[in-house]
Amino acid sequence: MYVIAVYDVNEKRVGKMLKLCRRYLNWIQNSVFEGEITPVKLQEMVVEANKIMQKEEDSLILFKSRDARWLDKEVIGLERMSTDNFL
Amino acid sequence: MKKPYYLFNPGRLSRKDNTLKFTPVDEAGNEGQPRHLPIESVEELYVFGALDVNSAVLNFLGQESICVHFFNYYEHYTGSFMPRDYLLAGKVQIAQTRAYTEAKRRMPIARSLLDGAAANMLRVLRYYGYRERDLGLPIAAIEDLRQRLPDAKTSSELMGIEGNIRQNYYQAFDEIILDYDMGGRSKRPPKNEVNAMISYGNMLCYTQCLKQIYHTQLNPTISFLHEPGYRRYSLALDLAEIFKPVLVDRLVFSLLNKKIIQANDFRWELNKCLLKESGARNFAKYWDERMNETIQHRSLNKKVSYKHLIRLECYKLTKHVLNDGEYKPFKMWW
Amino acid sequence: MQVTATIIAYFHTCLRKMYLHHHGIRMEHTSDVVYEGKLIGESTYEDRAAKNTQLELDGIKIDYYDAKTKTVHETKKSDKMEHAHEAQVLYYLYVLQRNGIEGASGIIEYPTLRQRKHIDFDPERDVPIIEGWLQEIEQILEQEQCPPVINKSICKSCSYYDYCYVAEEIEN
Repeated sequence: MYVIAVYDVNEKRVGKMLKLCRRYLNWIQNSVFEGEITPVKLQEMVVEANKIMQKEEDSLILFKSRDARWLDKEVIGLERMSTDNFL
Repeated sequence: MKKPYYLFNPGRLSRKDNTLKFTPVDEAGNEGQPRHLPIESVEELYVFGALDVNSAVLNFLGQESICVHFFNYYEHYTGSFMPRDYLLAGKVQIAQTRAYTEAKRRMPIARSLLDGAAANMLRVLRYYGYRERDLGLPIAAIEDLRQRLPDAKTSSELMGIEGNIRQNYYQAFDEIILDYDMGGRSKRPPKNEVNAMISYGNMLCYTQCLKQIYHTQLNPTISFLHEPGYRRYSLALDLAEIFKPVLVDRLVFSLLNKKIIQANDFRWELNKCLLKESGARNFAKYWDERMNETIQHRSLNKKVSYKHLIRLECYKLTKHVLNDGEYKPFKMWW
Repeated sequence: MQVTATIIAYFHTCLRKMYLHHHGIRMEHTSDVVYEGKLIGESTYEDRAAKNTQLELDGIKIDYYDAKTKTVHETKKSDKMEHAHEAQVLYYLYVLQRNGIEGASGIIEYPTLRQRKHIDFDPERDVPIIEGWLQEIEQILEQEQCPPVINKSICKSCSYYDYCYVAEEIEN
């Protein structure tokens, strides 16, 4: 599946969230990640995120799609980072 | 779904916060903006550019069972970083070794591998033969040689037939490829564009086979068609025989005939022709797409990707050496 | 021979899988279903971490053992293979008893189904049954030949599916 993950967490926990998401998805801009991931790996990421987050203050939003093809991505302005596997 | 990453830019790969960090470094030593590669998405790494790594990152890749394949400036395969085996099965090791040492067990496997390769070459030629190209002669010659496989008593006889099949096969390439002449197969060094493409594609195919074997219980150094020790991982060569026509050759035809790779994607040096970075990158991109294309598998009754077909071939070989089903090679059926 | 709980569970699902697994032909790493099961097991006990006791004994590994109440907890994703799960927990209790821990009982938890099932161990009834299994298991594992494929509907979601069912047809 293809996922876009967006989080808004307290400054104190922002570093931990960033490090966690980097292991599973591609960073595209501040607090936003995207990438291909299997449902079970996403589940694992969410389990880990739950350990970091404080539910009354932080949030993590996931936009899920069966396939990247169902998604039209348009970047306006500067593209901070590509998600290509050719470097 | 995991995917391979292809590193063409020179740079440094490091371990950072339990994931991978790639920092491009240009010739003058200036660092570019680093990129984090999500470790959970990395299937393997192909390294074409100059890369700095340290033991911390290799330990990490080893822990995650990720292979790294290295290529030199001439896009020639230099070797792979293969993490420690994580799927050891004594029973398979012994059975595989026995299947090699006993000639009456080795020969049928070797013959099947070659028969699979020949069947796939014929399938490729017939496909283009239908498209108003005159491939009757090489097809007939290969069919004829294929008939002789059951008579081959030794592996050198078998390799002799293999050589003849391949010669006929490659002769047909000049009919199929529109704007370039191949003039027979030349490797080390490849003498022209077509040979440069085939060499490059074959290496990608070999490393893919090697990677798939690594994720099974088979030992990559014990082979049946090629002599073990001919190369470090000769079982990968055995498997590549079957898949090269299906995966590499068809891709070479299509990239050249559709002009996706063009004359300015090649560079010439003294006595050899090589792909420029632009060409190598483009080729790898289409290769990567092809690996993920799926076909409906007939016995599994589900869709499987081309790269998974190679894994399945490993399973069939494992079952064969364990006397748990006779090995029948993958033959393209479409 | 040390028999693991996985072997006991496979004994009750598929002898072929049991045999292959025992001989190192493992496919579990290729399966998301297996990984999900592991994940559910791990995350269920996270909040009980404080009193979490992992127990390793005679080749078995109990994820969560509550020593105070002498309870073995086992987590499973679905109850599709319930009889295999029960056998696995009974085997834990059997091993505990063999090591001098009498009167333990088990709970199988299905967090996604919000269900749990209690398993009691009755030595008089269960010991002979389990020892019968062990005998049969040993005999199968020592065979030269791998047991045949079972052609059941459970095969489709098994991590060994590709291995067992891959074949090529004769060229036409």
